[in-house]
Amino acid sequence: MNQSSDEEWNFDFLDEISEDVEENKKIIQCIGCGKCVGGCPASKISDYNIRKIIEKVLKGDKSVLKDSDIWYCFLCERCKRVCPKEGINIPLLILNLRNESFKKGYGPRYNDLTKYVEMSERFLTNGSVLDEPLDGTLPEERIKEIDKICDFARIKYVFKASDKNNSKKKHIDS
Amino acid sequence: MVINNLALSISQIEEEYPDNPIEFFRGKRLCLFKACLEKYFPGVRFGIENLLEALDLEVSTCQNQSCCSGTFFQRNLITRAQFAALNERNLNEINNQADILLVSCNGCYNSLLRGRDFLKTPEVRKKTQEILDDLKQEMGGEKYEGQYEILENPDIRIMHDLDFIYLIRKAVLNTLKFDLKGLKVATHYGCHYLNLDRDRDTETYLKDKNKLEELIKLFGGQPVGYSERDSCCGWGASQVVLHPEDAFKITYKKLRSCENVGACFILMPCPTCLYTLSKPEFRDQITEIFDDKLDIATIHLNELIAILRGCEEDQCVNLRKKSSRIHWIYQTITESD
Repeated sequence: MNQSSDEEWNFDFLDEISEDVEENKKIIQCIGCGKCVGGCPASKISDYNIRKIIEKVLKGDKSVLKDSDIWYCFLCERCKRVCPKEGINIPLLILNLRNESFKKGYGPRYNDLTKYVEMSERFLTNGSVLDEPLDGTLPEERIKEIDKICDFARIKYVFKASDKNNSKKKHIDS
Repeated sequence: MVINNLALSISQIEEEYPDNPIEFFRGKRLCLFKACLEKYFPGVRFGIENLLEALDLEVSTCQNQSCCSGTFFQRNLITRAQFAALNERNLNEINNQADILLVSCNGCYNSLLRGRDFLKTPEVRKKTQEILDDLKQEMGGEKYEGQYEILENPDIRIMHDLDFIYLIRKAVLNTLKFDLKGLKVATHYGCHYLNLDRDRDTETYLKDKNKLEELIKLFGGQPVGYSERDSCCGWGASQVVLHPEDAFKITYKKLRSCENVGACFILMPCPTCLYTLSKPEFRDQITEIFDDKLDIATIHLNELIAILRGCEEDQCVNLRKKSSRIHWIYQTITESD
């Protein structure tokens, strides 16, 4: 990232997101070579450009959290493999930015998460993302473990929207 | 605490057993990781299970294993510590009953290794152990030693089915009844096999990403190159669900590129990629969007092995959804000359 003058850099935002995910600190080593962009599947079909996203982060531009682009990443990890700098973990940065976006209430796109309601329900009630898994569901006591591990996670909020959960509540209420 | 990489060191097996690597697996307990999408493609599980039995290797699945949870992590629905805790729970159960875990899905494989990788970060490791401690308290103690602990230097080792089949390819060849009759075959590896970077500096064996091509040649087929060989299938951590019209551009380009070089079918080592590249509804949508009908057949490596071994078609094919996906491949390989 050597095209900009020194005064353009502002690492406050980077420090903020590195508090949660320490590995993000390594992004400061980015040299802006663009290898991550070439061959990136998301860049082929959208305005997603990881080089620009990193530049925004390094300039403290939090508008990146409102960009729909960050939700286009395929998490294919190609960028991580081709990056010439050791330890820069772009997929993890993207996941972290998405988390921050969620926290700030921007983002997707909660509507998109409706597609995860059924998957979340199945995972929390039978241990698989699909109904009637090939080998049957997990034993009930093991399901409880999965449910407990996921306490306070977004998956629980998504699950709350499911029919099964609603009918269970109705049953308890009656 | 040392959090070790659980990927099996394949180079070491080759050094120790240069002539017959299958001997390394004799007397070891092998376990098959249950990938959710095997529900749609039961031949993926059947193919490897049947092969292992034919090779007199001990094989099982783990009843208490859950989904790898990669889908939920990738959509920010669970945290890194929760993801790692789910992963440790699975690994603990499997470690309790097996020595080697074979994985048929790139997504699960990546999750299993990534979950361990996260534990190298002290903060994540601490939170993960806290989750497991709460679990222990809630569930009323342990059923076996270390059930709710982060595994330190466990015996279990993880191996992708593709690496396993390639490693013991000579033994596999001896179990085959049919060959590929010179068919032109395109390969698709999938991002989470191609892009794993743990092989970047050390594991030279894993670095070689031509194993499918070599297996095709060994089985009597002709591997064909195509421009989109290393591209994504389009699934892209559910992009095909969230932004289908955009993601299908990737899928379409790949399938079109395979047809352009005259490939008879596409061979791959991952049921998630198989789902994306094969699902009839997706093919219909692609036809509608791009005004181009693509008929190329698709198959998972484990399914192909089952066909080549002479297993019955209904044991290899997609049992739940009527599809001609494998029928053509099955007919062509098994018909008499």
